Amino acid sequence: MRKKLGIMALVLVALVGLSACGGSDEGFATNREINVISREDGSGTRGAFIELIGLQVTGTDGSVVDMTTSEAYIANGTSIVMGSVAANTYAIGYVSLGSLNDTVRAVPIDGILPSITTVQDGSYPLFRAFNIAVPFEVNDLTQDFIDFILSAEGQAVAEGRGYVPVDSQALAYAGAHGMTGRVVVLGSTSIAPVMERLKEAYEAINPGTTVEVQSAGSSAGINAARQGTADIGMASRDLSQAELAEVNSVTIAFDGVAVITHNDNPATTLSSEEVRQIFAGEVTRWSAVIQ
Amino acid sequence: MVGGNTMNKIRKIREFVMAKVFMVCALISVLALTVIFLFLLVNGLPAIREIGLFNFLFGRIWTPVSHPPSFGILPMILGSVYITLGAIIVGVPIGIFTAIFLAYICPKKLYAMLKPAVNLLAGIPSVIYGFFGMVVVVPLVGRISVLLTGGGTGASIFAASLLLGIMILPTVINISESAIRAAPNSYYEGALALGSSPMRSIFFVIVPAAKSGILASIILGIGRAIGETMAVLMVAGNQARMPISVFRGARTLTANVAMEMGYAEVGSLHSNALIATGIVLFVFIFAINVLFTIVTRKHKGA
Repeated sequence: MRKKLGIMALVLVALVGLSACGGSDEGFATNREINVISREDGSGTRGAFIELIGLQVTGTDGSVVDMTTSEAYIANGTSIVMGSVAANTYAIGYVSLGSLNDTVRAVPIDGILPSITTVQDGSYPLFRAFNIAVPFEVNDLTQDFIDFILSAEGQAVAEGRGYVPVDSQALAYAGAHGMTGRVVVLGSTSIAPVMERLKEAYEAINPGTTVEVQSAGSSAGINAARQGTADIGMASRDLSQAELAEVNSVTIAFDGVAVITHNDNPATTLSSEEVRQIFAGEVTRWSAVIQ
Repeated sequence: MVGGNTMNKIRKIREFVMAKVFMVCALISVLALTVIFLFLLVNGLPAIREIGLFNFLFGRIWTPVSHPPSFGILPMILGSVYITLGAIIVGVPIGIFTAIFLAYICPKKLYAMLKPAVNLLAGIPSVIYGFFGMVVVVPLVGRISVLLTGGGTGASIFAASLLLGIMILPTVINISESAIRAAPNSYYEGALALGSSPMRSIFFVIVPAAKSGILASIILGIGRAIGETMAVLMVAGNQARMPISVFRGARTLTANVAMEMGYAEVGSLHSNALIATGIVLFVFIFAINVLFTIVTRKHKGA
């Protein structure tokens, strides 16, 4: 009985799904409204994006205002931005370069497509640092793991995930001999996936060691490093002055921020000023930026 | 019979100890409630004091990371109220009619299929609802919205209400159904004997008799809707500005906390303002529970 019901439900879902897709082949109507998708306040990706694109305006009185339009759809995660843009023909959003895949289209900014090469040579303007917060005093194992991250091997792991190495001339990992123990790494959800790979590579070289990676957000990571509940904190934003008084910040890689649209979007390039205007809500129709 | 006496004593002690164990278990839920409430107050109240109660509850602008920041949660309070109201409009009629159908009209064979289906609906994790909403409901609502208003992504109050309306169905159906079943069968038979049709008997005799139980189901449905986080977060659009149209997005109180908590600097005014948002939510839920108690108590008195 339940099986039958399940099949019925599936058919129903499929029908509704099909009806939602059907008719989407009407082409791209440029007179349509731009659906702006942004991240939540406090997100490292949003912080980097608004600063780089010029949406963060500093007043003469020291005030700092985020000019992102209040009409923007707020998605609380890279995957939700990607999913929403993939499902919405007229949407525009931004995600970490390392998370980019072919379900969406990265738009060239000022004619430059985001890639490891263009971020590295500085021609692509939107990128940010991936940082780790490290207490002033660390144990040998933690120091060795950090050394590994910054070594040629560690940087190759980051590059393999689509991130930009800090130092392309990094030295080879010297290797710790007979180290055992556990390192707890906690923080940014953007950095956690690449940290997982670093952990795997490190544990393969150093059997007997365990690296524990937990994703909880940049601020939670920095705070854990401050309080000593984690050995290393991950932060996809720059640390504040108050935070830097208690922990060191080490940049482990750079990450491009890709501006993404639906695959059917015909925009061949956008200038960074156009992107700013779109996200500020000054330009609201695609016809204004697509000829 | 010394042995019998000691046996008795041991039994008594055992009874006593177990009774205490059960009492401690019962107290844990009260303790949890107290600790959660204290946590909210200790962390949230200073933030409310710093922002100002009026500015916090009636401020229309939420820009926590701007400098100077602004912490007004009126948009989120209204977002929660509108989306819950929408869910009630969608879910309550369907739920009550289903309950009537299940209790009085449904053939036994169909009942054996429908009842588990309703219960299964209650068991689906809310993130699955959210995902379904994001992939199916939002694009569908987007098309309707473009047709009617010429724009909109579909991530809107409308989409969230639709989804939440489905999510509260099991609550409304199950509690209404037992309330309708609890109405004495003699009422129904009496109405029939007086010459009214079966439908008339159900709607004008049985439903009024089950009134308070049905009302209770609606109140619990409201509680479920206002507290829902994940599914709403994925379909509502989450714009932290005053709601402007059912086809535009809004942010709920729950979504506000869930979205920004991981990123708010720990101990900052931002993170404490989010906890203070939790206090407001707590007050809402508390009020709903009080209402529920009043409604069900009346029922027992009658």
